[in-house]
Amino acid sequence: MKLFLQWFAGVLAVILLAAFGALCYLAGSPKDAYGMVRYALPHMHRGTLQVGSDAPDVRLLALDGINHFHIRERMGTRPLVLVFGSFT
Amino acid sequence: MGDIVQIYNDYKDHADFLTVYVREAHPTDEWQMKSNVKDDVCYAQPKTLEQRVAIAKDFTARYKFTLPFGIDDMSNAADTAYAAWPERLYIIDETGHIVYRGGIGPFHYKPTEVREWLAAKYGAVKHEVQTTAAPTSAAFARTSTTSGASSATTTTLLSAPVESKK
Repeated sequence: MKLFLQWFAGVLAVILLAAFGALCYLAGSPKDAYGMVRYALPHMHRGTLQVGSDAPDVRLLALDGINHFHIRERMGTRPLVLVFGSFT
Repeated sequence: MGDIVQIYNDYKDHADFLTVYVREAHPTDEWQMKSNVKDDVCYAQPKTLEQRVAIAKDFTARYKFTLPFGIDDMSNAADTAYAAWPERLYIIDETGHIVYRGGIGPFHYKPTEVREWLAAKYGAVKHEVQTTAAPTSAAFARTSTTSGASSATTTTLLSAPVESKK
């Protein structure tokens, strides 16, 4: 039984090490692997919107930092392409 | 070809576009990437709306970004409603329904799918010459040709000169 547990722990350690190595390779570095797990993975399956869903209306701030508008105001006569993103 | 700005230039006579600036993907105080340092795009995650507006203004000024622009508030209402962070694309039809829902970026952020949707409706826009130039860190400019997180910030220039022919 003890021998089995030793083998099991050894195999598990090798698998975990390989998984960590693969993640580092995919992410680019150990730091990026951490970032991926810490920040990206929790967001991978967010959201319930589907094709056919009503587009949620949201109030946004204009680039002037003063005026506001609603996404709905930009809908109606033509398709609206929404591009979400940030600088970094 | 996947550049969203190029798509905007090609289809702005047929469709409306709205860029929504959401919270930063790779701020200095969270998951900063080497490419951000290389490209001098280093910002902490904004703690106030004023800081968020300032970064948005830096972005639009630096890249002469011409798409209509809105900024998510500090409650991240747009991000929450559209599950948008770090980047995502949608198309909404004239009746207010979602007709295209892109995947979550960077791995599933695919401007080419938006182009294909628009091309199916309004006809394809062919480009005789396509020029790529210096990379930026602007998530809005990201192409779909990414294969990993480290390469996900390799982008095409927002204002790369492209001759178009309809």
